[in-house]
Amino acid sequence: MRWIVMVLSALLLVACIGPGDDDELLVWFHTGKPSERAAMEAMVADYNASDPPRQVRLVCIPEQGYHDRIETAAQAGRLPDVLDFDGPYLASLAWKGILQPIPDHQELVDNLLPSLVAQGTWRDQVYGLGQFDSGLGLYARRSALTAIGARIPDGVADAWSVDEFEEILRGLAERGERQVLDLKLNYGGEWFTYAFSPIIQSAGADLVSRATPVAAVGTLDAPQAVAAMSRLQSWIAEGYVHPNADDNAFISGAALLSWCGHWVYEDYARAHGDDLVVLPLPDFGTGSRTGMGSWCWGITRSCRDVDAARHFLTYILGDDRILAMTAANAAVPATATAAAQSSLHGPDGPLALFTAQLSEAAVPRPVSPAYPVITQVFQDAFARIRRGEDVAEVLAEAAVEIDREVADNQGYPSP
Amino acid sequence: MIRPAQLRRLTGHLLLVLAAVLFVSPILFMIAAGFTPDDQVLPAASRGWPAALLPVEPSLQNYRDVFARMDFLRFMVNSLIIVSTTVVAGLAINSMAGFALARLSWAGRRAILVTVVALMVIPFEAIAVPLFFIAVSAGQIDTYAVQIVPFIANPFSIYLFYTFFRDLPREIDEAALLDGAGPWRLYWDLAVPLARPAFASVTILTFLMYWGAYLWPLMVTTGPEVRPLPVAIGEFPNEQPVQWGDIMAFATLMILPVMTVFLVLQRWFVRGLAATGVKG
Amino acid sequence: MSRRLADSHRSGWALSAPAIAGLLLFVALPFVIAVVLSFTNYRLNNPLPTRWVGLEHYRALLGGDQRFVRALINVALFAIIVVPLQTALALMLAMALNRQCRGIAFVRSAFFIPVVYPMALVAVVWQLLYAPGPDGAVNALIERFSAGSWSAAPGWSVLDGRWTALPAIIALSIWQGVGFQTVILLAGLQAVPTSLYEAAAIDGAGAWQRFRNVTLPGMWGPLSFTMILTAILALRLFDQVRILTPDGGPGLATTTVMLETVRSASAAGGYRIGRASAMAVIFFVLVILVGLIPSLLRQWQLRRGA
Repeated sequence: MRWIVMVLSALLLVACIGPGDDDELLVWFHTGKPSERAAMEAMVADYNASDPPRQVRLVCIPEQGYHDRIETAAQAGRLPDVLDFDGPYLASLAWKGILQPIPDHQELVDNLLPSLVAQGTWRDQVYGLGQFDSGLGLYARRSALTAIGARIPDGVADAWSVDEFEEILRGLAERGERQVLDLKLNYGGEWFTYAFSPIIQSAGADLVSRATPVAAVGTLDAPQAVAAMSRLQSWIAEGYVHPNADDNAFISGAALLSWCGHWVYEDYARAHGDDLVVLPLPDFGTGSRTGMGSWCWGITRSCRDVDAARHFLTYILGDDRILAMTAANAAVPATATAAAQSSLHGPDGPLALFTAQLSEAAVPRPVSPAYPVITQVFQDAFARIRRGEDVAEVLAEAAVEIDREVADNQGYPSP
Repeated sequence: MIRPAQLRRLTGHLLLVLAAVLFVSPILFMIAAGFTPDDQVLPAASRGWPAALLPVEPSLQNYRDVFARMDFLRFMVNSLIIVSTTVVAGLAINSMAGFALARLSWAGRRAILVTVVALMVIPFEAIAVPLFFIAVSAGQIDTYAVQIVPFIANPFSIYLFYTFFRDLPREIDEAALLDGAGPWRLYWDLAVPLARPAFASVTILTFLMYWGAYLWPLMVTTGPEVRPLPVAIGEFPNEQPVQWGDIMAFATLMILPVMTVFLVLQRWFVRGLAATGVKG
Repeated sequence: MSRRLADSHRSGWALSAPAIAGLLLFVALPFVIAVVLSFTNYRLNNPLPTRWVGLEHYRALLGGDQRFVRALINVALFAIIVVPLQTALALMLAMALNRQCRGIAFVRSAFFIPVVYPMALVAVVWQLLYAPGPDGAVNALIERFSAGSWSAAPGWSVLDGRWTALPAIIALSIWQGVGFQTVILLAGLQAVPTSLYEAAAIDGAGAWQRFRNVTLPGMWGPLSFTMILTAILALRLFDQVRILTPDGGPGLATTTVMLETVRSASAAGGYRIGRASAMAVIFFVLVILVGLIPSLLRQWQLRRGA
């Protein structure tokens, strides 16, 4: 089929977005928040001014469709030298040979948070290094909790049990508007897996077994998982959950609890000041669990100068750059030394909980080449559960679909 | 005095007008919502018919937002580039082929004609997947070319031109040939001017086909750079926060020029569309 | 004449070469590739070697793949409901609009204008009409008609109901599609010779008999053409579903053949190009079968008549 492709590419008036200048290092960066993009651009400008082995050419690409672009570029042989990607996709990108292992990684990972080392490692090789990790929790209004006499947990070990949480929902709902809980149902895609797989893990089940190869039947459809998702479904059915269509429910004061990640902290703090508290997610039985993992950097298989790429990664993983980036997006800094200097995430900062959670309660999303399919299937299942479909049936079907995909790929043998 | 027959006719007219107003209601609703502040759109929509067809606290804020938030112009320009290039290039090569098949005699003519008719049977959806595979492998994702080049040659257009040229009287070419004109001159000086109705029909049909295209641009664009309007509007409700006023303003901006063109050229549109049906 | 023949071989090929090249490269060749790929397990960027799997995809898809079988059922349902309904509506409209009086051009425009609405735009406008909760326009309308005996639960939309989602999609599809069909049927109506109606009137035929014996037979061509076209459009159902119920839900109530095909070929389905190609080939066969219906019908009629 190669000749077809060759003839066609000649015919299709090849658009020239090719690899560009041969002396440059081509770097792809996903753009979510404008502040992140500004921080990254500033970092690259500084790097280029520091007389590096190769100048970096930064290409910013919208987050939506970013991973599609990586896959299609790989198929066409047009990958950049260095790119960033969402952490849980690492194993898939590595298995497909889109990423290559980062050489001499030891000194780069020495200072990194263990959660990030775990995220970046697959089959004993390091493929990805992040500048930051993520935090997920419950944002709440202290005044509202005090008014109903609710206990305010002071750490992960102290998290509300799910029964306690439901009592608080009832209590808050009885005092005013019923829709007191914001689950960010207006978000799309990866959010649902990131935000709600922790309740399955807290209940004692998981998305998939963490064996090699992974298996979903017996894990995702386990009674504990069904029970946890059923409780979440009942919150929606009973009208506690705010649709949050304008993404403003918690800020406007309509919702009093918001289930969300680190990235909303600044907006929330601006709206509610000292009344804002950050709490761990409720405990569904085996202790509170939370999400972790975030975007990280890797070197592609088509990188033309691995040493220069490694030089760039070393630069952006310096504490100063990590602090600059995490100041822009409020994520948890990737190194203990940087975290200690952070006013948000340091031991006395308002988001110290997120730093602590990473070593006490965070569960990485399954590090498996099957992850893109696992998360897609779970997102579809979540949409059905949200609409009120039978949870056991939905999860059973999802588990079968995941396992069929794993079997289809022969359990992802090393190529 | 109104006679019963007249009365029946009049009620018929009135019913028809009422049906027409009901029928265009969703579009009136869209236009009204485009002028209504975002947080008022849903409450305004629940007022029932026909109250919901009027804007509430009308303002142009949504239109300002559409240009600021969504970069409407980029999508409009993308659509214009893609559709106009496809239609114009298609007119040229498909009319040439239709002419050659209808008016010239050459070895292979019959075989080509049969091939063209056979290919009319293959709907685009049946080849979207392999074409996607080819486009990805050729590194053509997120380009204009991938949205234009595959669609220039079109068996329907060729066939329409073919039937039109076939039905032109033979005497014209004889006269031209006596004047010493070759086939190219014949095509350009005689056939093209005479075939204006066919060109109009094909223009309208191919315009409607590509202007509304959604599936293929969705498959071959991963970001906004070269995305046309239909995909942009389809993705708009997924952008956070969801602001229905903005979305409806976007929709109105997208459709208004085409609606105007339609109203002005309605006769041509109707004739063009009817041309697809006559052969039965 | 002789001069023309001699000269035409080269120019004939030259004039048609660009179009033929385009058709071969972008229609014929992809179709062949689809058939070839459908016998493999090819995926984009998959490091495992691609294998020939023979008819495995076809067997799996038609032999009980839950999603795909449901997709086939859904498009069939869609066609069975939309084709007669939309055709009847379009025929009624065409007959109502087939009159000469002041303002008729204006009324016609109202019904014809959806031919320029991209389906994606229609779907988004109706997405707002179908907005969830008691504030949604359609929900509010139903509430009014039920005289208050029914009210939408917060967050509920017709698109969330197992039995209402497909009808909701059908409604907007007919709204968008009926104009096109009316244009063609109106042209057909105007082509029926008035002398036939006059003759029927002289014979003392009533309105129904004139419709039954003059209009319908005279309209066989445009009617069968538009019905087949609508049926094929039903098979191709994608745009409005992708926008309104992107996962084909609730349950699998709105999934379609094209939705499953595109899903399989994209990231969400693991870029399974081979499997998606098999779906495309099945889709093609279905289109051919539907396209054959009128000639089969005619043959059957002829045989019965003989």
